Amino acid sequence: MTTITPPAPATAADAARPARRTTRGRRWAWAPYLLIAPAVGILLVALAYPVGWQFLTSFKEFGLAQQFGAEAEFTGIDNYIKIVTTSETWLVVVRSVAFCLVNAFLTVAVGTGLALLMNAVPKAVRLILQICLLLAWAMPVVAVMTVWNWLFDWNHGTVNWLAIQLGAEQYWHHNWLESPLSFYAVATVIIVWMSVPFVAFSVYAGLTQVSGEVLEAAQLDGANWWQRFTRVIMPLVRPVLMIVLLLQIIWDLRVFTQIRMLQDRGSFPNQTDLLGTYIYREGVGANQFGMAAAMSVFVLIITVIAAWPYVRSLIKQEAI
Amino acid sequence: MKKLTGLAALMTAAALALSGCGLTPGAETKSGNGGGKAAANGDKELTLWLAGNDTNDDLRKYLADQFQQENAGWTLKIETIDWGDLVPKLSTAMPDAKNTPDVVEVGNTQSPTFTNVGAFMDVTDMYEELGGGDLLQSFVEVGAVDGKNYTLPYYFGSRYMFYRVDVWQEAGVALPKTLDEFNAAVVTLTEKNPRAIKDFSGFFLGGADWRNGISWVFANGGEIAKKEGNEWVSTLSDPNTVKGLQQLQTIDLKASMAPVDAKDQSPWLYINDTDEAAEEDESVTSTALNAATIMAPGWAHWSIGDPVIGEDGQPQRNDGGVIVREWNPAKFGVFPLPGNDGNPAPVFAGGSNIGISAKTQNPEQAKSLLRIIFSEEYQKLLGGAGLGPANSQFVDSLGTDEFAKALIDSALNSKLTPAAPGWAAVEASGYLEEFFGKVAQGEDIAALAKEYDAKITPLLNG
Amino acid sequence: MAGWIRRAGRIAASAGALAVALIWVFPVYWMINSAFLPNTKLTASAPTFLPFGGSLTNFKLVLSKGDFGAALKMSLVITLITVFFTLLFAFLAALAISRYKFRGRKSFVLAVLFIQMLPAEGLFLAQYSMIRSLNLLNTVIGVSIIYVAAVVPFTVWMLRGFVAGIPADLEEAAMVDGLSRTGAFFRITFPLLAPGLVASGVYAFLQAWNEFTVALVLLQGDTKTLPLWLRGFIQQSSQHEIDWGQVMAASTLVAVPVIVFFVLVQGRMTSGLVAGAVKG
Repeated sequence: MTTITPPAPATAADAARPARRTTRGRRWAWAPYLLIAPAVGILLVALAYPVGWQFLTSFKEFGLAQQFGAEAEFTGIDNYIKIVTTSETWLVVVRSVAFCLVNAFLTVAVGTGLALLMNAVPKAVRLILQICLLLAWAMPVVAVMTVWNWLFDWNHGTVNWLAIQLGAEQYWHHNWLESPLSFYAVATVIIVWMSVPFVAFSVYAGLTQVSGEVLEAAQLDGANWWQRFTRVIMPLVRPVLMIVLLLQIIWDLRVFTQIRMLQDRGSFPNQTDLLGTYIYREGVGANQFGMAAAMSVFVLIITVIAAWPYVRSLIKQEAI
Repeated sequence: MKKLTGLAALMTAAALALSGCGLTPGAETKSGNGGGKAAANGDKELTLWLAGNDTNDDLRKYLADQFQQENAGWTLKIETIDWGDLVPKLSTAMPDAKNTPDVVEVGNTQSPTFTNVGAFMDVTDMYEELGGGDLLQSFVEVGAVDGKNYTLPYYFGSRYMFYRVDVWQEAGVALPKTLDEFNAAVVTLTEKNPRAIKDFSGFFLGGADWRNGISWVFANGGEIAKKEGNEWVSTLSDPNTVKGLQQLQTIDLKASMAPVDAKDQSPWLYINDTDEAAEEDESVTSTALNAATIMAPGWAHWSIGDPVIGEDGQPQRNDGGVIVREWNPAKFGVFPLPGNDGNPAPVFAGGSNIGISAKTQNPEQAKSLLRIIFSEEYQKLLGGAGLGPANSQFVDSLGTDEFAKALIDSALNSKLTPAAPGWAAVEASGYLEEFFGKVAQGEDIAALAKEYDAKITPLLNG
Repeated sequence: MAGWIRRAGRIAASAGALAVALIWVFPVYWMINSAFLPNTKLTASAPTFLPFGGSLTNFKLVLSKGDFGAALKMSLVITLITVFFTLLFAFLAALAISRYKFRGRKSFVLAVLFIQMLPAEGLFLAQYSMIRSLNLLNTVIGVSIIYVAAVVPFTVWMLRGFVAGIPADLEEAAMVDGLSRTGAFFRITFPLLAPGLVASGVYAFLQAWNEFTVALVLLQGDTKTLPLWLRGFIQQSSQHEIDWGQVMAASTLVAVPVIVFFVLVQGRMTSGLVAGAVKG
């Protein structure tokens, strides 16, 4: 596993800036449209109908009876009114946002830490670390959840056993999923574990572009470790970090499988729901498909609003 | 829109062409499985969806053979749907005439939701022929809407108590004759804890396990929901319901060490002493035995007992890879939960219903399959496999051993969840797990009941 | 003196890195280790950390239950189709947005970003009826269409960083040297892009390999992908006595093809990931 860097641009920021082909002129004006056509095509084919359906259905009373052919009645924005007037919705929103931010920042922090570590160790050690991260990344999510569920099992769980070996007797039959806070802690451990490899590799990619000469020069100028990190390294990997953080926030806000599979094992779903499982349980599980559709649109709006300032700052920096 | 469809067609054609020209070996498109499409041997196919693996291979083979015999030119295709996936699969496939399964098994508590929206064909005209009044009536009710029959009982199970004869004896506790005696006995067992096992439960009952816990509500004359006029209302605050819940809370707090969020998953793990037999060096360092009593569906007895040790010193496994256990009457016993009057208490009946999809293209053949299922031979086969036959005339086929006896006794008074159209929504909401879990945590029952009545009532009416 | 401190720092960093590696690989190790152990060992109150006395029994039992082979084939076909088309479509789009300025470019980039924010939990009814009307239910292609659309947005993002990283001058220089535009592309640009394509391919592979909610609805009967097979296996097992050993063996079997794939592309991949995974 080598880490050859191909002739990459000096900084990540440069890479983001689209090369301008003004010289080429009108002859190529249609080319970009042709190039994006397949991607746009597949997105339209696979998403236009379902997303359109979802949008329309969100204004309807649509349950199992309608799925079996009964006339669906347009109810205007009733579904939305019900959503925003239910206090539980806002509770779930707050919980999800908090969970998402904690997870996204933790993942990026740990991932960056590991990337710095990779940068600081000899090649052999780096290789071992990279292979281990890749193995963790390669685990199918159903397998991941099965293993972690078992590690945290109240009866035969290895985590409890370890705690007891370390002298914490109260962990005998300790049920990690019972209290919501502890449930989220377990979920965080699992999600961070799963997401860190991606972040670590991405940030490490950014780091390899920080040239050794610049760092040496900084050191000769008397900059200490912290100063070198904040003044030299950070500005250079910042664009990568920003993008990775944005993606983590988007992904962690719509986390579903992990929470659902943990809920299957323990906890009371009403106390541990995040947006994904909330839509699923209150909408799909209860056969209230109109409600589920409205909730999905609602979540999309919330995500876009929350992400917008961040996206705008990225656009301003020409990172997009 | 036209353009879009055109584009879609183009993309599909491209994809098809690619898979056709060897780029993607093995990407052959399978034909839909409904609609009596031609099978490989030129026969037409009828599709039967069975939930889970309770219907064993012998039963399946009988159905397939018999069906083929009685319907020349037809074969029966049986597909297994895992219980957890059943509802989404039914909601998508059943309204789709081209892909619907013809005959479908549904859980008895799921039945009202689907019958109320017209997913099943009206089989009232066959009701008498298939058994009529002899069919298990509580199951017939959940399959009927406005006096018409849509789904009929397929098989029933029941819940009874499995207990450790040896541990009860060591604690000097006698078998209970009434519900009060049972409630007291399990507390005594826990206090005496004759084997000094850490976190020992006289009766292991998951806090959120409402399917078992509900028996205490039923036994005291309570209900979860009632139909008042045309509306269903949640009745957790009903005095009888509350009385049952109070007894349950005492058990939760004083006799059961199960997690408060535990559901009804495999309680038998805690009554076996797996590890003692397993350690190769015969040093008994640990024991899984954790409970003197559990409540479980009848078929749990296959999972209870001492592992059969083979010549290689390892526990033997059956074809499915499950460890074979041998029932040891010196250690294990069963009894139905006694009610207040000494008769078996009404417990929550397990089991499922079966019906014909309203969209089936092959109603004649589907009806023929139902006739086979409700025939004397098949009903007796069900009994022989330990599943309670739908037709009460053939209950004898369950046999006469202690399991059959406990099953039949406990099923006598068994009850089902309310046949409300919104029942599936109630189950999906998780409110019942949460409510029973909070009861187990020792919270005030009256306040809880009021809170959850308000949450559940709007869901009940669909 | 400074050298000594630096060496101590390096050793400490190495020790830390190895500890972290151990933590990250532990669940993977635990899965594989348990797959070799009998259930009785696994339910003992003291865990067994080494697979001594282990056997292949669990694997044999899992494989004897039949449909693994069919599910493996299904998963492989769907995953490969998804990876191929995703890379093709995403590469072309990445080329467009990083090499050209055109009206609608920004909207396209933002749309691709926002599509990833769409909650998918309630979509399955519409996806089913759409795939049904295309007559693609129960087919590899039906599932693949949905997968490609789900993976393309992120892959476009990932690849544009790579495309932008290759100086256009390089191509132009080659053309000056007498290569045609296509020739320049295949001789110069494509090899430089390979790591990026591998990295994006890995992402697409993992997504398609792991997905199960769409597959559950669009595939019927005995047509199953591996995650569906694994889920079914776990559900059936938990109906009676969960045999952790077998469940872990089944999980391992699902993970092995991914690991094999990783090994096959490993050299390319780390360099690819390292070369500029998401450079925005």
